[in-house]
Parts: sequence; C-alpha cells; structure tokens
Amino acid sequence: MPKNQALQNLGRKPKIVLLGSGGLTIGQAGEFDYSGTQAVKSLLDCGNEVIVINPNIATVQTNPQPGVKIYLYPVEPEWVEKVFEIEKPDAIVAGFGGQTALNCLIALSDNGALKRHSVLNLGTPVETLKMTEDRDLFAKKMQSIGMPIPKSFACGTEEQAIKAASDIGYPVIVRAAFACGGLGSGFANNEKQLMALVRPALASSPQVLVERSLRGWKEVEYEVMRDSQGNTITICNMENFDPLGIHTGDSIVVCPSQSLSDEEYQMLRNAAIKIIDSCGVVGECNVQYALNPDNLEFVVIEVNARLSRSSALASKASGYPIAYIAAQVVQGFDLLEIQNPVTGKTCAYFEPALDYITIKVPRWDLGKFKGASRRLGSTMKSVGEIMAIGRSFPEAIQKAVRMVTENDTGLAAFARGDVSDKELEITLSEPTDMRFYAVISALRSGWDFERIHELTHIDKWFLSKLQEIIKAEMAIKSMFAHKDHSAVSSDQWRAWKKLGFSDDQLGRYLLEVKNQKTDQASISRESAKIRQARKSHNVLPVVKKIDTTAGEYPAKSNYLYMTYHGDTSDPGLVQMMQSRRTALVLGSGSYRVGTSVEFDWCAVSASRKLQEESWRSVILNCNPETVSTDYNSSDSLYFDEMTLERVLDICEFEKIDGVITSMGGQLPNRLALPLARHGVRLLGHDANTIDTAEDRSKFSRLLDELGIDQPRWVAARSREEIDQFVSKVEFPVLVRPSYVLSGAAMNVAYDRVSLDQYLSMAETASPDYPVVLSEFLLGAREIELDGIAQNGEILTAIVSEHIENAGVHSGDATLVVPAQKLYVETVRRIRGAGHAIAKGLKLNGPFNIQFLARSNHIQVIECNARAARSFPFVSKVVGLNLADAATSVMIGKTPRLARINEDDLPHVGVKAALFSFTRLAGVDPVLGVEMSSTGEVGCIAEDFESAYMLAMESSKVFRPKKGILVSAGPEHEKMKFLPWAKKLTELGLKLYATDGTAKFLTDHAVPVTEVAWPGEARKGFEDPVELIRRKDVDLVVNIPKNLQRDELTRGSTIRQAATSFGCSIVTNMEKMIAYATAMTFYPDFSKTHTPVVLPEYK
Amino acid sequence: MTSRSKCVLKLSNGMEFSGELIGAPLEASGELVFTTGMVGYSEALTDPSYFGQILLFTYPLIGNYGIPPLPSIKELETSAGFESDRVHASAVIVSEDSADAFHWSSRQTLDEWLKDQNVPGITGVDTRQLVRLIREEKKLFGRVVPDNASGVRAFSNKLPSVDPAVFFDPSAHEVVRAVSCEKPYIIGKGKKRVAVVDTGVKWNILRQLASHGAEVEVLPWSHDLTKVDCSGWLLSNGPGDPVKTGDLKSRVSHLLSGDSPILGICLGHQLLALAAGATTSRMPYGHRSHNQPVQLVGTRKGFITSQNHGFMVDESTLPRDWESWFVNANDQTIEGIKHKTKPFKSVQFHPEAAGGPRDTGWIIEQFVKEL
Repeated sequence: MPKNQALQNLGRKPKIVLLGSGGLTIGQAGEFDYSGTQAVKSLLDCGNEVIVINPNIATVQTNPQPGVKIYLYPVEPEWVEKVFEIEKPDAIVAGFGGQTALNCLIALSDNGALKRHSVLNLGTPVETLKMTEDRDLFAKKMQSIGMPIPKSFACGTEEQAIKAASDIGYPVIVRAAFACGGLGSGFANNEKQLMALVRPALASSPQVLVERSLRGWKEVEYEVMRDSQGNTITICNMENFDPLGIHTGDSIVVCPSQSLSDEEYQMLRNAAIKIIDSCGVVGECNVQYALNPDNLEFVVIEVNARLSRSSALASKASGYPIAYIAAQVVQGFDLLEIQNPVTGKTCAYFEPALDYITIKVPRWDLGKFKGASRRLGSTMKSVGEIMAIGRSFPEAIQKAVRMVTENDTGLAAFARGDVSDKELEITLSEPTDMRFYAVISALRSGWDFERIHELTHIDKWFLSKLQEIIKAEMAIKSMFAHKDHSAVSSDQWRAWKKLGFSDDQLGRYLLEVKNQKTDQASISRESAKIRQARKSHNVLPVVKKIDTTAGEYPAKSNYLYMTYHGDTSDPGLVQMMQSRRTALVLGSGSYRVGTSVEFDWCAVSASRKLQEESWRSVILNCNPETVSTDYNSSDSLYFDEMTLERVLDICEFEKIDGVITSMGGQLPNRLALPLARHGVRLLGHDANTIDTAEDRSKFSRLLDELGIDQPRWVAARSREEIDQFVSKVEFPVLVRPSYVLSGAAMNVAYDRVSLDQYLSMAETASPDYPVVLSEFLLGAREIELDGIAQNGEILTAIVSEHIENAGVHSGDATLVVPAQKLYVETVRRIRGAGHAIAKGLKLNGPFNIQFLARSNHIQVIECNARAARSFPFVSKVVGLNLADAATSVMIGKTPRLARINEDDLPHVGVKAALFSFTRLAGVDPVLGVEMSSTGEVGCIAEDFESAYMLAMESSKVFRPKKGILVSAGPEHEKMKFLPWAKKLTELGLKLYATDGTAKFLTDHAVPVTEVAWPGEARKGFEDPVELIRRKDVDLVVNIPKNLQRDELTRGSTIRQAATSFGCSIVTNMEKMIAYATAMTFYPDFSKTHTPVVLPEYK
Repeated sequence: MTSRSKCVLKLSNGMEFSGELIGAPLEASGELVFTTGMVGYSEALTDPSYFGQILLFTYPLIGNYGIPPLPSIKELETSAGFESDRVHASAVIVSEDSADAFHWSSRQTLDEWLKDQNVPGITGVDTRQLVRLIREEKKLFGRVVPDNASGVRAFSNKLPSVDPAVFFDPSAHEVVRAVSCEKPYIIGKGKKRVAVVDTGVKWNILRQLASHGAEVEVLPWSHDLTKVDCSGWLLSNGPGDPVKTGDLKSRVSHLLSGDSPILGICLGHQLLALAAGATTSRMPYGHRSHNQPVQLVGTRKGFITSQNHGFMVDESTLPRDWESWFVNANDQTIEGIKHKTKPFKSVQFHPEAAGGPRDTGWIIEQFVKEL
C-alpha cells in the first residue's frame, strides 16, 4: 500500500494514472521509457492498479501486464479526462513523462479536471511546477531565498524583449518558457538576432526570458531527490565538458564533476538542497548552475521538477535507481524507510559514491537532416547519447568516442586532413557537432592546449587529458615504426589499454606507419594479431561492479563494466554464472535516426524471456536512455562498448553459451558475422542466413532461384555500368549504398543531373562498396511482413500496410494493421513469398520482409533477418509478443503460439512517425527515401478512421479548426485531392491555396482563397507565412513535386514556416486523404470516441 | 609523462601490490583505511584524524583541482582546503593522480605537495581490490616501499620511538600527543568563548565556531581544564583509539559535574561517552566517506554526513541519564548522544564537513547560540 494517507483511507487498491511522454522527439526521448517503466514497477510493487496513458507503442512501459491498463492515447488533457471518466482513478503521477506529462498535468489542474474527478496529484504540487516553469515566478522565488540568478526579464512581447536586452546589455540569451530541450532559445548579439529568436518563440509560448549571457562559465548540474518529510539528497553532480552556452543535451557530460573542489562541490550541493526544500518538491528534481571558472561565483540557471534526461543519465552513472525510488517517494514513503534495491543492504537515503568516471557523449544525426545548421547552442539537436564508464578519463573518453562513432576506430579515425589553421580556429570557437573532433585535430597538429582553451573555454584539465591521449598515440606510432607488435612488452600493452586504445585502433596505427591500406578488413586482421599478442602477455580487462558505495559495503549489484585499471575482477561474478546456461543480448547502442526505443523493447523482451526460460540473461548496451540498462532488466548488465573486441572479452569472461544479435537493430546485427568468425555461437539465425540476407547479390540470387520478383538493380562499379542500367530501367532510379539501415545517402534520381550529383555523394558515403542502383516504382504500395520462423518454417507472420505509396522510408511511413486496402490476392502472394524466403534463407528467428505491390504484382525490397522497428507495434496490435516468441525459437524451443488471424482483431492499429523538425531550423520537413523521423506513436481503435485520428494527434498533427493551406503539387496529386477538398470545406474549414492549386480548385468549383508565394508580395493576396503566424491556418498540406530532397522550392519556405510556428503539416497526399477521410467520417471525433484499452498479450 | 620510480605496497597479510611512486621517495607504514569521498582530498590528507594511517582514495582520479596555498593563521578563518598545516596520513594510495592542475585556487599538484610534505604515495594499483581487502581483513596494515627509498617517513617526535620494522598501528599509541597543538591560541572574536580541547582539531571546526560569533581558544590536549574561563567546551576530533588518551577521560568527567555546554565531535564524542561511563569498541570496518546517512532519533528526519572513524560508542553501555541523539540509517550504529537534562551533546560524524556535505552545520551553530 502507498503511504499517502488519502490513498490508505480508500481501504482498497488505489488506481493511479501514469502519464507518459508520447513519441520520441529531440529533447524528449528514450529516458522517459526508463523513468516510466520504473515508475510502473514501483506503483505495482506497492499494490496499486496502474493506468498508463501514452501513445508510444514501442515502449516497455506500454506493455500490457496484470495490474496495468494501457491507453495508447495522446497525452492531452481532453483524452486524459476521458480516461478519468472511464477508469475513475484515485491519483495521477506526472513526474515520469517529461515536459509533455507536466504540461498536461498543469492543464488538468487549471481546467478543474483533477477536482471534478477527485484525482489526487502525487508528487510535486502543481503550484511548484508552475513556479519552476514560469521564469519570472522562479526568479522571484530564487531571490527570496538568496539564490543568485542571471539578470533576466520575462517578456511577453517583442518590445519588452528589446527593452530587456538593452537593460542587460548584449550578448543576451533568449529562453522560451514551457519548453524542454531549449526550443526557441539561443544567443543574440544584437537586436536583429534577438528578434529572430523571440518571434517564433512567442508564437508557441506565452513568454520568453531574456538573460545575461554567461559564456565560458562552467555548467554543472545536481540531481536531487526530496521526500515528503523534507529529507533531501543529491544523487550526484555532473559537469559539462563544454562550457555554458551549449544545451546540456548537446554537451559532453562527465559524472561526477572533475574540476570542482570540495568547496565548490559542497557550495552547489547546499544550494541545490536549499532550492528544492524551499520549493517543496516531492520526488526527483534537477538543478542547473553556471559556475564562474575563476572564483566561487555561481548562478542558478534552471530547475526541472521532474525526472529528466539528466536524471536518467545520473541514474545510470551512479547506479542509484532514481526513477524507482522517486516513484516510492511520491507515494508518501520517506527515503529512510526505502531500501536501496541495488545493494540490498543500504537505505535509499544516502548519496552514491562513485569509484569510476562516466562520460556522456551526444549523438547528432545532423548529416541526415539536409539543410540543418550544425551550430550548437541553447536549442538541443542531438537524437541520442551514449555513456562510457572507465577508471581514467582517457579510458572513458576513448570508449565514448567508439560508442558514438560505431564501427570506427575512435579517435584514430579523425585525421587532421587539409584543414587550415584558420578553419580549425573557427570550428573551435563556434561550437558545432564536430567541435570535439576539431579539438583532437588541433592537439594532433601540435596546438598548445592553452590556445585551444582560449578558443573553446573548455576546462584545461579536460584538454590536458586529451593531450595525454594524443601524445600516447604519437608514442605508439613511433614505436610501431621500429617494432612489430610481437616486440611490445606487457607493461607497454597495459599502459596503452589503460589509456583506452582498442585493438582496432592499435592495428590502424600499425598499418598507418607502414603505409598500408587501412580498410576495415585490414584493420580487423591486424587487430586480431594484436589481441593475440597482448593476451599472450595476459593483458586482459577486469570486470568491476557499480555498487553505489565504492566498495564500502559488499553489494549484490549486477551492474558491470570493464576496465584495464585493475588486477582482479570483483568477486562473486564467476560463481554466479556457472549454474545456468547464459545468453548475451546485444542492445541497440545510441538512439539515432533509424534506431530507437523499439529496439530496446525488443532487447528487454528477449532478456525477460530468457529469464523465464531459466537462462541467465546478460545484456550489453551503452545507451543510458534505455530500459535494457536498468538493474532489473537482466541478470547481469555490462554497460560497455558494443565492439567486437568487447563482446569477445565478455564472452570469454562470462563463458557465454550464445549471443543474440538480432534484437538491437542494425548495430549488433553487424557484429553477427565477425562474432561467428571468432567462434562465438549465434543464437537464432545462423551466420549464413544473416550474410545472405544482408548481401544484396546473394539475396538477389536467392530470390531469382525462388522465382520471386524484385526491383531490377545493379551493383555498378563503373559509369558505363550505371548508364547501361539506367537506359534499361529508365528514370527514376534509387541510388544507395549497401548495409544501411536508415537510408543514409540514399536518394531517388529523377534525371541525369540529379543522378550525377547523388553518385558523388554515394561514393563518399561508402568507398569500399560499389554504387547500387535500383529501379524505382512510382505509385506502388508498400507492405511489410513481420514474423518469426523456425528452421525455415514461418511460425507466425503479420502483414502491415503503408498508407503512403512507396518512396517514403518505412521508418517515416504510416502503417496500419490489419491491412485495409490490399487485395486478398496481394496478401496471399505476399504470404507465399514470405514462406519461400523463410525456407530459402533457413530463417530461424525474427524477420521482417518489405514488399512492393502494384495491381497484385509483388516485388521484394529486402529481408531483415532480425527484429524490425515494427515489432512492438505489430506485437501489441495483434496481442502476440513477437520478441518473446522469437527468443524462444532462438534458444531452441518451439513456442506454442496462438493462431493470429488479423481479420478477427477487434480493433485496428495505426502507427505514425514523429518528427523533430521544429528543433532543426533550416530543414525542409519533407519525407523521402531517407529516414528523418525521430520517434513513433501507435494507437488502436474500433476502426481505421478512429485509430488514424488518434495516431495523427499523437504525432502532433492536430485536427484543423480554422483553415487549411494547400499546395497540392503535381497534377495527379491535385486530382486525388479534389473530392476531399470539397468535403473539407463542408466541415467548415476555410481553404487557402497557392496559385496552381487555387486555380485547379476554383476551376472545379471548390471555394478557395488564393494566397501569394512567400515573399512575393502580390496585391490582394495574403502572404502564407503571415497566415500561419496569425494561426488563421492550422494545417498546412504541402506536397512537393517529387522526392528530390534538395529541390529548392518556394514550397519549402511554407513548410519550414509551418514547423517553426508550430502549425500541423502533412506533406504526403495519401496521408492527407486518409486524414480527410477520417475527419469526414468523424466530424466530432473527440466528443464521440470512447477510449479503449490495449488488450493483454495472448 | 616522465617515468616514475617503481613502488611496492606491502600488506600485513603478506600480499604485495606494485605501482609507481608519487610524493617523497620515503618508506612509510600505517593502518590501511579508505575514504569514498569524491572530492576533498587535501582536506582529508591534512585531517589529523588520519594520523598514522595510509589513506586510500576510492575515487580513481585524485589531484584534479590541485592543492591550494597553505593559509597563514590570519587567513585561516576565510580559507578552505586545509584542515591543519600538514599532511597527517602516513602515505597515500590512489589509482591515478592528476599530472596537472588548473583550478583557480591551485598552487601545486598533489605530487609536488606530497614531495614538499615528505609523504610517499603509490599510484597505479587496483584500489577497488584493496578496498575489498580492507573490508574483509578487518584490520589491515601496510607499508609503502619505493625503489631506492631515501629513508623512512618520520613519525612525530612526540611519540616514543617506533620500530620501523613493524607496521605502525595508530590505535596502539597515544597518537593525540602527535597532533595536538603545543600552546593555546585564539581564533575569532566574540562575546562567547569556546574552549576547544585539541586532540587533532580540524580547522573547519574552528572556522565554524568563529563564523557563528564565538571566540575560540584552542587548548593542548593535556591542558588543565579546571582553570579555563569559557562559556562552553568543544571536544575535538582526533586520531586513534579513544581509550589511548591518557587522563583526558577523567578530566572530561570533571567537566560533566558542571553545567557548561559541551559539544563532542568524532573522537570528542567517544571521549564524552567514555567520560559519562559508556564503553567504546573497534568497528568491523569504519565509516570513512561523505555519504553516511544519519537519522535524528525519534523523527523521520535524516542528514547526510561526512565521517571518518574506526571506533564507536557501545549503545547498550550508555548510562541512564544519557540517550542516543542520532543513529546511522545504514547499520543502526550510534551516531550521536545527548544528556537528558544537561547541555552535553556529541556526534560521531563531522558537522563541520570539509570535505563533505554541510547538512549538519546547524549543530555547531546551535551550540554557539545556546552558550
């Protein structure tokens, strides 16, 4: 029972609503699956019934289980209130679902819904939340308790902002209130820059803050927990490698702080406790400071009275289960009475002692967003992160670089190239996603770190440590210039490994000094020899525990990492492992475009299934935003690198019986073949299967043998071959490299000019592989088959249909299960092909096959011999956990599966992609063959139209209430739109259109208001950007002429205006027609729809 | 990096660890103890309570922010970083010391400072494994033996001569002799005067007392306490076994017959308990960290404290007119006692912090207020 008196007085199981954070976007990502999943567990453990509201179908927290009801609904007040009406809950918990959940809670409090339904808010009071969110109120509060804050003014108008800036003096920083991830924030050196920030910020937020700029100050954070008794602890602190000025989500962050003295550490700790105490926070809280690098002066930057990305990081860095304990605390327990589940010995009221260093490095995919500025500032841009653990800074940072630049040899790979000193200076002084590597380049070029410090303000301690690595690198190279690796002494090997050099890195240096080729195959060969050589000297990593007490108490912790700073592994690990068969599950690594929370769901499912089947489950991952890296997701967790070297180390240490590489997406999948070559047993598909599925030629040959059609393609090695192919299949053609997941460097060429342009790009993307061209079908349907096979026989497979025609990356597409508009014959053929491919590949585990279909003619695009992005969606819609079943197959069991008949489902599921274009200024929000979404949502309802409406709202496309601005693109798209245009006007929506579309609609007697093109002032015609800004238009339908990404059209300005002013936008006609259909079908959807619960797995 | 001399850590259980030398090329022995504080190494090394002990830092990177300059006695009140004027620990064990320091307050690196202080240290050893040994062996001694050592680190000339061939055990000696001041001195200005019995007092106790408006008179541990004019007494922290403190226990007992407020800290807490009639004993392994949770008895209120002790007061032996004030929330050991009627109190932890959290600074503030 919770300790809260009101809940105890109920005399029955309390019902508690937990708000999730919705789909993943930049600034609000996987960390909230970690916190929500822990909160659900904590609430269940204390005897509550839990109701989760979250449309993020790919999360662990939305797994239906006994005692937990899942509503896959938008986290919006009106839907939450509908759930209140149905479920009549007693309380609500909002601190685990990010800013989305907090905003929703505040709205529910303001509109009286909490009172109306007698729902108690557990945790930090709404008044406190409002105070921490409203910067003016916050500033007053801080002043009242004597806490220094930067000189700042809350401004509601542009005029106020200008006045504030002149009072403070430029440069100033602009921050938008009520936004996480620093949306609409930035630095301004003058009035023009100020307006560029303030205008869009005020469009989506009632006020902005104009503040004194503190560039060059250290940025330090404290994670704080306070219980209802007022007991307050700081879990840990974190220091940003990058000084203030770069959003903490985009900063390299070190935990614990490295350059702070005890005096500074305790001063800021004390301040944090005082702040949290005076605010009356109950639960978890994060305090950010700026600290003067030259004295004890500091200011409070902000307070987040909720679990945050930093809390997830702090939890993984310290080993303290922050979210789980915070959920106990909001139920009324005090920290003194809660046991720390990690140690099993100490109470939750203590502050972790770390005996290692952790480094978080963000992962940006800015290269995937064409047009995105690479500049970093106060708006977050990274899509994921990794955390490295070591016992020295060089060891940890080198691990970190390898984690974030997968399949590369870390720092070694970043050559100076022919960058001029001037260019280097600019890269250093103006932070971008490449600045860290610029620091490395500068050090390698012999720059003094004082000079680098002047340009970057990065603390000299960090720079000196990086210099230590570069000096060692030079020493290694000069040694290799004279000696072979057989001549290296054991002390030398150990010293290098302590500095974090990997075998691959050393192999690369060896090849470089000998002027030999440094392609991956050569490096691997050299690396294997190095591994052998150092092992013969007994230079091996040791395994250490993270136990929150730095070894002061014996702890049962199963949270591990590897280091070369030690002679012996912690005891108790070897005994533990010999009793049961052990499998190593490889996680996803950093989230990025193409790999997200869905693969964490797969890995967690696999681990839990292994445990159910009495196997010992070991997880390897390096992503702090995950559930898989929780202390209770596996029997042992290695928070370490996902490299061949480290996986082999773990396999050797743990006596692993087999490795699961098919549950974490493409990163672990790529390790399958190298592991098999090193004699590691793969669970599931065998190496040949994976090789054939991944190798385009081998797979194509198989399809030919099976008589299954595929788009014609060629792996062209010369221009002649390319031209021959193009003349055979005709434009458009798809240009892409092999072995890619998210379509990097993939493009559709519509003519010779664009082909030439893409060819040059494809070559730089993948020098070791020929350019692959394939035929591109226009107007084809795209269909996916997700399933599980055993020894070549499909056990179950589910068909899902894309709403968009082929050409939109499957990760960006809208999917529906069961398929709504496919011919029965198409489905029959797809299933037939699926069976044949399963047999041909001897599939033995999870798979996903992608098809094209046009008039019952089907073609196979590709087969992934691994779990796919769509697994959690499909699993939850049909009620069968595919990842569980696949895991059974992988350990040699035949799961008894309930027969799935998609026609019998009581509901329809729709999955939609979520985009982060609002955070990426300059990016054209148009969809193509390259994936650009950062998250997804999935909703179920009694029919397609309802599920679609819900999925659209969950993916932040809100039903228009006023006007729609249409640019319908080419003629055939206009034709498709015509019948719906009329119906939309009948719904009372005003249509605006650009010239071509306006003329077309007028010609067909649809009432429409023509607007000018942006920037083209035409008398009597409104500027569309103005319409969007004024919110006269609340939906933009803008269909680009074709899928050429860099087509610089006038439409692009309209699309970008929509994203920057927070207006809903649809850029695909099939998607829009489905939307119009649903709107017409349910003119009053939010009033008439009754929410449904996601049924439990069968 | 310039190559360093080899150095070996020899343990009383026969094990040896090889690493590299930092600090002075001297041999030194002592009781092995560890602290899990992640900051505050200069505070710890200058804490007189570590006298005769080899201090191991579990945090692997030590020396990152360097060492501040030693304050003069005039600067003492406003300074930070030093808890006495010298390193008291026999020797130091770190996984890695920072070769450079760039902090604004830094004057020299850890290595340079240890050299100046004639203190040897060893680096590059598996500190986590050593922590486990210290924990499991209950009582472990060690000797740092550098290659080509130029001599042996001298212990205080106030102690009877120590055989360099045996491991030095601070709890076998009256080590307070070695760390107490020789002559009384005064810090701060104020109407209320606090007499501090210096058994190895940390400067931050003095700073704290003075900052709350007390005039602080620091007395040698052997001072005649019957002839001191003061409003209250502070029994300070210090090294060693509380029973190895000569006649101090009986002199403190004498104070208990009066009504002047007394505050004991750490060793002072143990002495107060002994003087009241309770006993003390050696703990299986001590509390030496910045993250020890204590609970105010009779409430749900907790505080995070800085601690450094290997002995404790036996709760069951507390006389009837005394009660426990704080208990440790992890292992329920006694963390503070108070007299039921008279203004006598003491705490096992360090309310003055330095290093570590300052959550219980109110204890010193309240003590001064109530004088």
